[in-house]
Amino acid sequence: MKKLAIGLVALIFSADVYASSKLQVVTTTEDLAALTREVGGDWVEATSIAKGSMDPHFVDAKPSYLLRLKRADLFIQVGLELEVAWAPPLLTNARNSKILPGNQGFLEASENCEILQKPTGQVDRSMGDVHPLGNPHFWLDPANGRIIALNISNKLSELDPSHAEDYKKNLALFQTRLTQKEKEWDRLVPELKGLKVVTYHNSWPNFAKRFGIQVVNFVEPKPGIPPSPAHVQSLIHQIKTEKILLILMEPYFDTKLPQKIAQETGAKLAIFPPSVGADKNIKTYLDLFDFGLKLLKNALSRSGEKS
Amino acid sequence: MRIHVSLLCVMIFCDSLAWAQSSAPVASALQASNVLNPNVSVIGWFQGESGQRKLGEGEEAPPAFQLKEAEIAFQSVVDPYARADFFVAVEPSEEKVDLEEGYLTWFNLPYDLALKVGKFKGNFGKFNRTHTPETAFSDRPIVHEKYFGEEGLSSMGGSLSWHVPNPWIFVDLNAEVLNMPKFSEVPAFDEARRKDLLYIGRLSGYYDLTESANFTLGTSYVHGSSGQEFDAISSSSKTLASQLYGLDITFRWKNPQRAIYRSFFWQTEAFWNKREISSLPSVKSFGLFTHLEYQFLRRWRVGGRYDWSESPSDDSQHEAGGLLYLTFAPSEFSLISVQGRQIKKPTGETENVGFLKITFNIGPHGAHPF
Ligand SMILES: [Zn+2]
Repeated sequence: MKKLAIGLVALIFSADVYASSKLQVVTTTEDLAALTREVGGDWVEATSIAKGSMDPHFVDAKPSYLLRLKRADLFIQVGLELEVAWAPPLLTNARNSKILPGNQGFLEASENCEILQKPTGQVDRSMGDVHPLGNPHFWLDPANGRIIALNISNKLSELDPSHAEDYKKNLALFQTRLTQKEKEWDRLVPELKGLKVVTYHNSWPNFAKRFGIQVVNFVEPKPGIPPSPAHVQSLIHQIKTEKILLILMEPYFDTKLPQKIAQETGAKLAIFPPSVGADKNIKTYLDLFDFGLKLLKNALSRSGEKS
Repeated sequence: MRIHVSLLCVMIFCDSLAWAQSSAPVASALQASNVLNPNVSVIGWFQGESGQRKLGEGEEAPPAFQLKEAEIAFQSVVDPYARADFFVAVEPSEEKVDLEEGYLTWFNLPYDLALKVGKFKGNFGKFNRTHTPETAFSDRPIVHEKYFGEEGLSSMGGSLSWHVPNPWIFVDLNAEVLNMPKFSEVPAFDEARRKDLLYIGRLSGYYDLTESANFTLGTSYVHGSSGQEFDAISSSSKTLASQLYGLDITFRWKNPQRAIYRSFFWQTEAFWNKREISSLPSVKSFGLFTHLEYQFLRRWRVGGRYDWSESPSDDSQHEAGGLLYLTFAPSEFSLISVQGRQIKKPTGETENVGFLKITFNIGPHGAHPF
């Protein structure tokens, strides 16, 4: 019994030994973790709760995440109700007042970002599982990535003023690289201009706007609502009549139905990464766009050969 | 109005000042009075029943159709330190409006502690705290009904939870002190004197086996009274004790890369009770239930439950039974479930009942309990 008590006490104090000198950042998504690593450099350890291949709307609020949140100095979420089903219970149970909304260690990435599709007028669930604050997949525009990085840099400097200079330097470096990349990506825009695509969920309005792509319809009839046979039929009809070449889907949906639609219409189906880590080759925020744009370009040139 | 309520959902535990600052453009579109409204949601539970119940004395068969319950929840942050949760159950067929739970939680205490005060469901096992409309079943497991009654073990008092700090697994140690419930509500216990207290302790651990599979293991203990024994000679009275031990295991599987399509769930809870009875040997009874559920398509689940239970006042006979169900959920906010239940009564009779359970949820996007 005595041994057990000593063991228990030792266990409790040993927990602090694991605390590292680096600023501990926990983000909801891999994109935010990747941007935090860009800005934080050597002074920050950033991990994400949702993996890039997971649906960020549906994550189980597992108690094991609480262990990480308890030690976190900063929590960053996408916001706009993307994580509404799982981030609130995690935060209230983490027993870490630093990272609660309204406190210094809480950051909502969407601050000052360009948010599309803010509903005007009445919103209700007959429209599906709508995002009443606007489309939360806004990180898929590099201009918003720039703003998120700035938000993170400001927050890190506030929490860790002794390295504020480094955070500023890292931010400037990241922005320079992003600007260069954007020039590269812009060269693809004329090629992609007006490209009509169908996507599974409404994940890419910001991406489409930035690169001149037109998302004409979704496999989901309404956000979060599985496709009905009638919707699939009308979608097939639309893809055929409007000669849509591409169906893009998130990696976390079942491929069976989109495959069927692709087969019936001759459109090409591509798993299109919505997040860092969705493919093992996407390790950074810049990789995300490199990968996606290359995928679109290849798909276009191949379908060009066919016709 | 619905927009306003949904907005609040995001910021459910955010103090109003920070809310106003961080989302000024959104807030300006709202009336200040709405911004501070609590989060309101309603779960409706409609139930149909067919089959012949084998009723005991004084029991009455339910009608074919019932609006079993409308559960109204009000939830909000109180201040930067605490949140409040109220659940009002309206049961039209029982002509009853009841504050099912109403409690304040200080979630922001030092040393990994949280303190809850008010009326709430006791932290015994994992199933007890789930409101019946939110469970997979049309009823409650037999062992829960036998020991905790129809509404579950619930009373007024305080609850202290401690997340035992360690870097490996999640461990929660919980201690609660509650008013002793009455026998008519919670049959495992009985109030002997006005200020009798019920003590509940629970230790539970959660472990990720893989990214897809995890389990929770818990042990619980309750110490309460089971009435009074009068000594006619000395004309004194002695409080009789009832002790309940519980063991629960929950296993979950879900591929996080295909989170909405398939999942597997297994939960088992066992109860051991030692209940002192006036001038008789103690009643030592046992009961358990085990529940399996498989989600085989995005909107479809199939599941079953096995029940075996003695009763806290009688360990000489038991009831056994099973429930099977098929559930279709058109969306996250409604579900339709067809269920069949068979119970072997201690009398040897067999009862077969079929249920139709329909629940529907309005209000902001609630958080999913795990
Ligand atoms: Zn979405």
